[in-house]
Amino acid sequence: MSCNLTVEIAGVSFKNPIFVASGTFGYGLETQELTDSSSLGAVITKSITRHPREGNPPPRIVETPSGMINSIGLANMGVERYIDTVIPRIDEIGTAVITNIAGFSIDDYLYVMEKLEACKAPICGYEINISCPNVEAGRMEFAVDPELTGRLTESLREVTKKLLIIKLSPNVTGIASIALAAEQAGADAVSAINTVFGMSIDTQSRSPYVQTNVGGLSGPAVRPVGIACVYKISRKVNIPIIGIGGITSANDAVEYILAGASVVQVGTANYKNADTARSMIDELELYLAENGIENLSELTGGVIPNE
Amino acid sequence: MVIERASVTANELIAEGIFQMNVSAPKIAGENPSPGQFINISVIDSWFHPLRRPMSIAGREGESLKIIYKIFGAGTRLLSEFPVGSFIDLLGPLGNTFELTEGATPVLVGGGVGLAPILWFDETLRSNGIDHTTIIGARHSGEHFLEHCPKEGFILTTDDGTVGIKGTVLPTIESICLEMENPKLFACGPEPMLKAVKQFAEKETVLCELSVESYMGCATGICQGCAIEHKSSSISEHSYHERFSLVCLDGPIYNAKDIRFP
Ligand SMILES: Cc1cc2nc3c(=O)[nH]c(=O)nc-3n(C[C@H](O)[C@H](O)[C@H](O)COP(=O)(O)O)c2cc1C
Repeated sequence: MSCNLTVEIAGVSFKNPIFVASGTFGYGLETQELTDSSSLGAVITKSITRHPREGNPPPRIVETPSGMINSIGLANMGVERYIDTVIPRIDEIGTAVITNIAGFSIDDYLYVMEKLEACKAPICGYEINISCPNVEAGRMEFAVDPELTGRLTESLREVTKKLLIIKLSPNVTGIASIALAAEQAGADAVSAINTVFGMSIDTQSRSPYVQTNVGGLSGPAVRPVGIACVYKISRKVNIPIIGIGGITSANDAVEYILAGASVVQVGTANYKNADTARSMIDELELYLAENGIENLSELTGGVIPNE
Repeated sequence: MVIERASVTANELIAEGIFQMNVSAPKIAGENPSPGQFINISVIDSWFHPLRRPMSIAGREGESLKIIYKIFGAGTRLLSEFPVGSFIDLLGPLGNTFELTEGATPVLVGGGVGLAPILWFDETLRSNGIDHTTIIGARHSGEHFLEHCPKEGFILTTDDGTVGIKGTVLPTIESICLEMENPKLFACGPEPMLKAVKQFAEKETVLCELSVESYMGCATGICQGCAIEHKSSSISEHSYHERFSLVCLDGPIYNAKDIRFP
């Protein structure tokens, strides 16, 4: 039996539901020696900002049980260099590319998106990292406020007809209501989750291991958090959900899909082996075959909750 | 750069708290690594430890690579538990290499397990007949597994004087460098030692390369996790500002005057 792994999000078709997450696969060109990116469903780029960013002072990362904490500080090449150096080579990635954008005001996001629209970048859409402080709102993160998220989404929707995905933060009181605000403002999909606040302290020096004290936790440690977020969001919105957080295997991906995700992204697991995500595709096909599932979409939201 | 499941051919205690592991890694060795380069090791297949551990290559013989490590945390403890005959997942070779300067006599300095890349460099220089001096420091004799052979330019130091020259590596570096026409220092070791070597090199305007350590995420330039502060703009290719450089791609070997320790 052959299974159909293709998925569609708002009319855009993808080879399969295994994507790679922002910040864990560079701009899509760096891993060519270690994996075949053309097999992936899509590649999400590192967050791109209006200006290049040097990032936070070191140390920026530390391993924690089944995870890691990072405080990279959105180090990236900036939209200009992205357009000059990556966009011309985008064919080499061999699959759909979704450009992730970060900003510190609505204008910042608009600037980056307008530049990419103007150069007719051959990307299939945008993922918007809203876990960024808004300097125009007392540095409150866009992600924590439904109104701010809604306004940002609405502004971006006016600029693009391409896929518009809003990436949600788990560090909020009600992630589903933020997702709903994005949906109502015209987002095509939401992705969840970004990293979870995390801290780890060296008990000898009494200093936190990352320079910013608190950082973002990722990896298998956050998987149950991500799954619960996807489940809650799926009860509240109708647009597709992209599941992210701690995925290392096809089984992990299926968990997310059962909770309500249409596709998933693999993040931290790429660091151990850039081929992790690609190797999950065959595994997923096997799972579907063994369980007599012809179409992946049959699985989405298929969890049987306890009474 | 390749990922390889290498077979462990030796893994034993060679001095107090110090282990040596030999692996047969034809693919990585086939990429002709040079002294200064490192491999990134997955210490366990389980995702309890999602990140690899970077380790300098301490020697190469044909398809065989050597690493020398100290049990420092949970990761290195797991490393010490790999039995001979088991397989270990390696990524490499990674990073840049030590560079000789024409007309300058190499003075190699290794402290603690920082001796790993220094030993390999020493061996390479020796087999190429390049005149040099090597200084290896430890706290006491129990931490040394090599012989003090000053006549052959191989000097041990210990903080307590139980073998070799008493004291840290620094006075020995000073006396050797100040006697030489044009020395070039190559050092690897704990940060306080590197800081002291850097300070000396700057004061006496001695050429100096340091091998630095950093936590690493991917070791391929993607995560931007292993940033180090640096001054020169010549090695900022992989980060996006003059202020930082990535140890995994631009390092781990730096010109001492280009980097700044926190
Ligand atoms: C080092 C690192 C850098 C990241 N950079 C970004 C980024 O630039 N933009 C973004 O939206 N998410 C970023 N993320 C978050 C991931 O895309 C993902 O949402 C999160 O790590 C959870 O997934 P995981 O557990 O599979 O890693 C980063 C994560 C890590 C570990």
